[in-house]
Amino acid sequence: MNYQRSKNLPAIRSSRCLPGGQSLMAPFAALLLLGVSSPAFAAGTVAGTNIENTATASYDGPSGEVQIDSNTVTIVVDELLDVTVTSADPGDVATEPGAEDQVLKFTVTNTGNGTEKYTLTPDVARGGDDFDPTLVSVVIDTNGNGVYDPGVDEIYAAGTNDPELAPDETVTVFVISDIPAAPGDGDRAEVNLSAEAETGTGVPGTSFNGQGDGGGDAVVGTTGADDDDSGFFLIQDASVALAKSASIVDPFGGDSAVPGSVITYTLVATVTGSGTLTGLAVSDPVPADTSYNAESITLEGASLTDSDADADAGSFDGSAIAVELGDIPGGQTRTVTFQVTID
Amino acid sequence: MKRLILTLAALLCAPYTAIAAERVELSSDVYVEKISHDANGRKSVVLEKPLKVIPGDRLVFILKYRNVGDQAAENFVVTNPMPSAVAFQETIDGTELVSIDGGESWGRLKDLRVRMGGGYRNAVPEDVTHIRWNIINGISVGSQGKLTFRGVVR
Repeated sequence: MNYQRSKNLPAIRSSRCLPGGQSLMAPFAALLLLGVSSPAFAAGTVAGTNIENTATASYDGPSGEVQIDSNTVTIVVDELLDVTVTSADPGDVATEPGAEDQVLKFTVTNTGNGTEKYTLTPDVARGGDDFDPTLVSVVIDTNGNGVYDPGVDEIYAAGTNDPELAPDETVTVFVISDIPAAPGDGDRAEVNLSAEAETGTGVPGTSFNGQGDGGGDAVVGTTGADDDDSGFFLIQDASVALAKSASIVDPFGGDSAVPGSVITYTLVATVTGSGTLTGLAVSDPVPADTSYNAESITLEGASLTDSDADADAGSFDGSAIAVELGDIPGGQTRTVTFQVTID
Repeated sequence: MKRLILTLAALLCAPYTAIAAERVELSSDVYVEKISHDANGRKSVVLEKPLKVIPGDRLVFILKYRNVGDQAAENFVVTNPMPSAVAFQETIDGTELVSIDGGESWGRLKDLRVRMGGGYRNAVPEDVTHIRWNIINGISVGSQGKLTFRGVVR
């Protein structure tokens, strides 16, 4: 028992207390060798919290049980300055040359234990990527819905509306950029966002006297009180080539272009690149001296009606056929045919 | 190492701040354990009396008791509720009983279970709410002792 061991210690306040100190080292050293680990903490106890410790004891005296309290030791929990920045897009964000107001999404989390303001710094001119976007603005997700709402979410101005985060609180930040016209299909651009605790940053353990929440010090945590992460734009460009061919069948089974011959026009739209062309449509006027053969439009071999009022993609307006192809990803083709008769 | 010795010695020499009336004095001290490595990779441990700590700091709690009366104190029981911001780690002597339910029931940590979902899991040091030592032999006149445990600032 502890009691037995301590009986052998030199008396407290004796000038011989040094040997006692030596003998105490053994259990401490042994415990350290066992590798008592420090658990990991997210934010931990809130800065300014008092840790108070009081022990109580009871014993049997001649006149019954006696209760005593120890003194109370009070320690203040200092503010730990920490922050984590994370790119919140699932991967590269697809964009195209010349696109405006393109959005990359980040989260900034206060991993410290006090309420802290953070300065945000975007960097669009990173090295090692293929092109640099043009920074438009940094926007705070003011309404907290995780989606960039132009005109609703507040534009960030350093020193004016630096986000103030409670321990463990996260704010979403959007970096808005314009894409220049130059980059080609497959080019990538890196955009970085950094956040720094306003109380201060530095080597972990750096202390700012009296600047912590609750009157204690502010101490730089393991993140250095600053962090950054990058998101990426990926150019996904696409282009379309349209090829037109014609075949003729004359009334006699030959292929002469005579009155009454039927011409079948074939339009092949070929989309190339890694992107998708959206809302693609083809139209073709009926040539002079020919008459359109009603209900002759096909798309990928399937007939379409001439009416523009129905749901199908084809129409004829009296002078030209049109087919709405919709969104076509790179690497695909669409084939449209229609027929006319030579007058 | 010399630093450690001196620090621990200073700790032992620290005067009692006993509030106790009656015949037994009980005092509580808290130290923060700073581990540092010198240029040769040797580890040194310094116990400092902190005014301020940060989450993750390792604390050493030292309770001292002494019978200053003229009669033995029998059935001497010392109880230390864990401050809520401190996660219990271990005691130095391993003879303690602990409670994980606010002092309702007591046992050895290895025997305690925590209800989780439909079942139970083994209690871990972080579950401990109170520590208790039963010093059954009591403390004789003039004798003293020390109880030491560790915790980490949550």
